[in-house]
Amino acid sequence: MYWGGNPAECHPRHFTKYALMPKSKFLPRGRKDRTAVLVDIRPTKSAKAADIFLQVRPGKDFELITILRALIKDQKVSEEAVAETGITLEQCTDLIERMKKAKFGCVFFGMGLSMTRGKHMNSAALLTLAAEMNAFTKFVAMPMRGHGNVTGADVIMRWQTGYPFGITFNRGYPRYNPGEFSTVDVLVRGDADAAFIIGADPGATMPQPAIDHLARIPTIVLDPHVTHTSNLAKVHITTAPAGIAAPGTAYRMDEIPLPLKPALKSPYPTDEEVVRRIKQAIVKKPFWMPEGAQMTAAQV
Amino acid sequence: MLRITGGKVYDPANGIDGEVRDLFVSEGKFVASAEEGRTIDATGMIVFPGGVDVHTHVAGGAINFARAMTPEDHRRTQAFIRSQSRRSGIGGMAPTTFATGYLYAGMGWTTVNEAAVPVLSARHTHEELSDIPIVDKSTLTLMANNEIMLDLMEKGEYERAKNVVAWYIWAAKSYGVKAVNPGGVAAWKWGKDAKQLTSPIEGFTRLTPGDIISQLARICHELGLPHPLHLHCNNLGAPGNISTTLDTLNHLDGHRAHIAHSQYHAYGGDDWDEMRSETAQLAEYFNTHPNVTTDAGAVLFGDTVTITADGPWQHLLYKLTGRKWGNLDVENETGCGIVPYTYRPSNLVNAIQWSVGLELLLLIKNPWQVFLSTDHPNGGCFWRYPEIIQLLMCADFRTECLKKLPDKIKERITLPELTREYTLYEIATSMSAGPARALGLHHKGNLGLGCDADIVIYEEDKDVARMFGHPRYVIKGGEVVIEEGDIRATPDGHEYISRPHYAPDTDEFLRPLFEDCYTMQFENYPVEMERIEKPAIHDCVPNS
Amino acid sequence: MNKLTLRLKEQPTVPLEAEVLSPDTFAELSNEEIRSKTVYHGKRQCRLDDFFDVDGERSDDVEIHGDLHRVRWIGREMSRGRITVHGSVGMHLGAYMKGGEIEVHGNASDWIGAEMRNGLIRVHGNGGGQIGAGYRGSLKGMRGGTIIVDGSAGLEVGMRMRRGMIVLGGPAKDFTGLQMKGGTIVLLAGAEIRTGAWMMRGTIISLKPIQMMPTFSYACRYTPDVLRVYSRRLKELGVSLPYAPQDGAYKLYSGDASVPGKGEILVWDALSA
Repeated sequence: MYWGGNPAECHPRHFTKYALMPKSKFLPRGRKDRTAVLVDIRPTKSAKAADIFLQVRPGKDFELITILRALIKDQKVSEEAVAETGITLEQCTDLIERMKKAKFGCVFFGMGLSMTRGKHMNSAALLTLAAEMNAFTKFVAMPMRGHGNVTGADVIMRWQTGYPFGITFNRGYPRYNPGEFSTVDVLVRGDADAAFIIGADPGATMPQPAIDHLARIPTIVLDPHVTHTSNLAKVHITTAPAGIAAPGTAYRMDEIPLPLKPALKSPYPTDEEVVRRIKQAIVKKPFWMPEGAQMTAAQV
Repeated sequence: MLRITGGKVYDPANGIDGEVRDLFVSEGKFVASAEEGRTIDATGMIVFPGGVDVHTHVAGGAINFARAMTPEDHRRTQAFIRSQSRRSGIGGMAPTTFATGYLYAGMGWTTVNEAAVPVLSARHTHEELSDIPIVDKSTLTLMANNEIMLDLMEKGEYERAKNVVAWYIWAAKSYGVKAVNPGGVAAWKWGKDAKQLTSPIEGFTRLTPGDIISQLARICHELGLPHPLHLHCNNLGAPGNISTTLDTLNHLDGHRAHIAHSQYHAYGGDDWDEMRSETAQLAEYFNTHPNVTTDAGAVLFGDTVTITADGPWQHLLYKLTGRKWGNLDVENETGCGIVPYTYRPSNLVNAIQWSVGLELLLLIKNPWQVFLSTDHPNGGCFWRYPEIIQLLMCADFRTECLKKLPDKIKERITLPELTREYTLYEIATSMSAGPARALGLHHKGNLGLGCDADIVIYEEDKDVARMFGHPRYVIKGGEVVIEEGDIRATPDGHEYISRPHYAPDTDEFLRPLFEDCYTMQFENYPVEMERIEKPAIHDCVPNS
Repeated sequence: MNKLTLRLKEQPTVPLEAEVLSPDTFAELSNEEIRSKTVYHGKRQCRLDDFFDVDGERSDDVEIHGDLHRVRWIGREMSRGRITVHGSVGMHLGAYMKGGEIEVHGNASDWIGAEMRNGLIRVHGNGGGQIGAGYRGSLKGMRGGTIIVDGSAGLEVGMRMRRGMIVLGGPAKDFTGLQMKGGTIVLLAGAEIRTGAWMMRGTIISLKPIQMMPTFSYACRYTPDVLRVYSRRLKELGVSLPYAPQDGAYKLYSGDASVPGKGEILVWDALSA
């Protein structure tokens, strides 16, 4: 099942290499041995690849998933209430029947689900549905991440700080609160007095108040290209492109680490080298925490 | 150079039991004498070899998933505040990498064995391990549910399977083989489990869990791996699983093995209401089979997060707790489940589990066979080991703790009858010399000449938990890393890697199979040696 | 006891974390000791008097003046006394609170009374999101006490709350009472969508019609006796809750069937005159 994602156009290898086409020991006929469902607000190119396309009304994903959670537990939901989602009760019942009959169900969800009204709760709904489906058969769910190696950033932040994102270090140790410490919220509220941006272009994607704040404060950009953010930054440092001219590891969206083997040489330093040199310079300055200070641990 | 003088030395590897001796260190090893350098006056203090954790989960995809799942624990637990010499981090149920190194070293443990690594995420695990400072490390590769290997075993191609196992160990840059719920994790891909050792596994026609156990034990022996098969038995945690465990041991066919966290595998009774301890039976097996070792997997009351490749068990635990559940399927290699859990003294099952862990440690007579562990973080967090030491050394304290358990427990356990108290010599064996020997790390857990100078020095204290929780000095590779409760140095540890022999055509044999069922390039799969920080390679000598 | 008065003299340029702003801290301290208490301006450790003029000492009756929208954690874990703020406050007002009273003549931000156990928080302006909620990952939100916000509120009000009461004078955004496990939320001006989503137990009372989740079902039209009790209690706090049969009755919806839960949403249905 794909929910709120359009792999045919956004993750072109997903069907052929991972999820729909491959032949395997238990699915020798490949695509023919699988049932594919797409749930989205409009019939995208991915709809053609699906056996079943369910067109959910915009902003009704959370309701639809919650209905499915009730129905798998044999709870009653009125026909009219279901119809509000753009899907009929009959369609829901049929979908559940197929889900329960599957030997191994897999749900991939995209930003059409996770970045629309309801956001993290939409994702939570689908993950919960997949968890609860295990009372009947094997079911898993996984997000289809958008940007390059955003998973890698998550993974490393987690092992070093315990948290994937939305972290502050101002009390000398990691604290977490998405909404309070996530980049976009910090910038929109004007809570930061400097910004250091590596391999991202918030100047192109973030809301205007965030962009305005980036232009107000000293912003430093590390990027192989001159980006929208570079144009409003005080400093831009050109770096070697990762994977093309800089080695390292990228984490696939399923958290499998892949080695990056550079094919080219770049005249520019890698991001890592620039950060290391900045760090070396900072170490020479007086340590920011007062000598012997008791940084009382604060919850959250 | 370093001299440690006047301490009471406990060095079971060399039969030294509390004798006052001087130790001399040069270039990270013990030497016969040293003229220069610092002298630590350890008069009146107790000197142990640094602790060795034979079975823990500190790095890799599973523990890292657990970290993400438990922000509520990070908030309330110990914070590691950044200093000029120390990185920041979080302690608690699933500590962050830097904190893991500080916490282990802080209580005198200097070597840890990460016991469950899928090859597919080995690169990730090694990256994490290089962020765990101070301690030396090794990893075990999950093999007992790897579909390529299972197919070979099903077809009766034992020699091929052996080559493939060796190839995987080297590809993962790991130290040995871990088997978790043989066949059961593969069956979990179908939403099933493998509970009978002699029944075919879901998805196979002939192959049984028993076959996997027998063949993997033999493979580990024949490859000459320094550590024998590290085995997590089928039916973990289930009432009445003692019969499965004993059956598993019989399938070893006389080969060496290490039975992981045996606490979870020593229960009688037919259901949760009837559950009871069957440690006497299991201990009897160990007492009559010196070729098999185990670690306790002891349970301590409190909050923790359970992490295991045993996916079906974790789904059951999720249904029992109704709390959070994470599940990871690792393609055709293995899987894992994560469930936060609270062990409560008022809960009869939990109380029995607490008792079973201690009973095994007390009933297995030879401390060279049973090692201190909580299967971190499953039974409790590793930084709570000093509490277990106290329970082992003080029978009165055990009696006090027993009073807090439900009355109904009396006929279910044998702990109240056990009066044995561990001596310091036995503790040193169980926490250091024994696990080091079982891992085949002969230069660890040993204060003899030429061995690694990993030392922990305690100030004698009647409060055993305090004494073991706060060593006066910890020395790693001859360097003082902990002194008076402070971290003084954070050197990088070594990583131990085994290089077993495999037939040269194994690459070409595996390539088409690999391309058939994996989602990454064959060339990208093996972990490059350059990625390992300070590797220490053990070349295996095959046994016939 | 005499009052302790603090006046913001220097507007923080980045968030100021000031959990020392609590009667528990100030009750036994001299003026000089209070002035020297540590606050965190970003990563910098500063003295309280770098930002505040402090008048008075040894008091658990604290009055704070100024635009404190960047000042976070006011009244954290307080167990006694009183804080009155003349101005707006930043996030986490009264989080983990155990007792005492906070009154804000101005707006407050997200996480008001998060995971509080007891006490009273009253905000005369607008509130933010996650009022009385559990922090991310926590199994339980507020476990007792009362929060009243005269104005509007943001997302996830009362998320996973276990006990206690939240009253909102203005409209709330989405997910009010998300995964609620107990307690009561009173919505005088209704809420946007997904009210009561994934509720297990507890009660949401709305005086305005609200959009119902499809997994809630209509049970009946009545006025439970407990409304009389709530009404009396809220009257003391200046909030009027109708319950008289001649004025109307409540439509009871139960859910959320997806859990399946036993939560209740009561929507006031006035008799037309």
